[in-house]
Amino acid sequence: MSEHEAHDVLIEVRNLDKSFGDLQVLRGIDLNIRRGEVVVIIGPSGSGKSTLLRCLNRLEDPTSGSVKIDGVDITTRNVNLPRVRRQVGMVFQHFNLFPHMTALENVMEGPRTVLHMSRSDAECLAQGLLVKVGLADKANGKPANLSGGQQQRVAIARALAMNPDAMLFDEVTSALDPELVGEVLNVMRKLADEGMTMVVVTHEMSFARRVADRVVFLDQGLLVEEGPPDRIFHRAGHERTRQFLDQLHWDIASE
Amino acid sequence: MGYEWRFDVLEGNLEFLLGGLGLTIGLSVLSMIGSLILGLLLGIARLSPWRGMQFVTTIYSDFLRGTPLLVQLLWIYYSLPILTGVVFSPIASAAIALTFNLSAFVSEIFRAGIQSIGRGQREAALALGMTGWQTMTRVILPQAVRRVIPPLGSVWVSLFKDTALVSVIAVPELMYRGKVLSIETYRPVEIYTVVALIYFFVTFPQARAVDWLFERARVRS
Repeated sequence: MSEHEAHDVLIEVRNLDKSFGDLQVLRGIDLNIRRGEVVVIIGPSGSGKSTLLRCLNRLEDPTSGSVKIDGVDITTRNVNLPRVRRQVGMVFQHFNLFPHMTALENVMEGPRTVLHMSRSDAECLAQGLLVKVGLADKANGKPANLSGGQQQRVAIARALAMNPDAMLFDEVTSALDPELVGEVLNVMRKLADEGMTMVVVTHEMSFARRVADRVVFLDQGLLVEEGPPDRIFHRAGHERTRQFLDQLHWDIASE
Repeated sequence: MGYEWRFDVLEGNLEFLLGGLGLTIGLSVLSMIGSLILGLLLGIARLSPWRGMQFVTTIYSDFLRGTPLLVQLLWIYYSLPILTGVVFSPIASAAIALTFNLSAFVSEIFRAGIQSIGRGQREAALALGMTGWQTMTRVILPQAVRRVIPPLGSVWVSLFKDTALVSVIAVPELMYRGKVLSIETYRPVEIYTVVALIYFFVTFPQARAVDWLFERARVRS
């Protein structure tokens, strides 16, 4: 890769293996994610998608191989993990909002506790982010009083409050009622349009097709193939990719 | 059963008993506060990733829960001075024994409370860039503390009654004063009945309040 391209790469995964006991979940994954790129990871359940994502901010420790964020290997023993995680925001399937805080306090928590921002600055920032995800009127609501879609949008705002270089989305619409999926995907699409670097694990193929710059197909811990969505969805090179997409009733003819 | 009740023996003595109640309450409050602080630290230490810390705190907790409070009390009051030369007053010995004994139970409650908070909370906090300590103090403990209030209430109610044990080392609390009066007046029936009633009238509303806390927690979850 040329010098220019090397500078462009924000997340660099090399020969990544991950095992849970005897079970090998990831096998020799190589993946580069460039600044501003939206990469969608698809694959059957148990294929290692979420584990791969969780290795990118060391919520999982890789068994071997390396992950570099902005050139810094985060798999070494003495890496400053809180510092790494500030750079990489994460949104979870089950939202994981802090239930003892309001929506606004959830968004303020990272800037306040981790960045030691003043209360007024953090509040201003959080208000702005809640406006951005369309929840300005829910600032003082507790998570328990918000719908799943609203909670997930607060969770996105919470991650954005750290001003991360990249965002990781781990099946963020899988726990939502179908009618609430759209509002979350719309926020994500807006982020993508603004140039946020995003790694998205999802089963929402329409999102992958419309928003992804690149689609990565994982099966049984192997990165089977990757490419632009148009190619993966219409001219996949591997039989396993085609089988997987067929099983999703992905109707190519209707597109 | 022609026992003739003579509650007039209480005349002039009730104040003496109620003075003992003051000490019972004071001792309970002091031991509770001490055991909350010690128990919280021990509860967190038991969840430490460091094996040595887990081992030491588990032994501490098992030992204190596996021996009678009365034995611990007598050991601190009679044995410790012989071994170390450090002599504690009866009240100090009582407070120390109650605090250590209780801290083992309190630590188990805190440990269970902390473990009851879903893994996702910890992960969300870490993903924001919080340190382990920030995750504990900002996210896990504020939620865990709410959950442990009812069981801690039960501990408090038991503690309040268990303080009667310290009468064996002559701490002049309610039970001890009852014993003194019953000997002085030769009226154990009336005196111990009144002592029991005093314990009951103080304990009962608190026990009911704890039941209410449990019920409220059940409804919320």
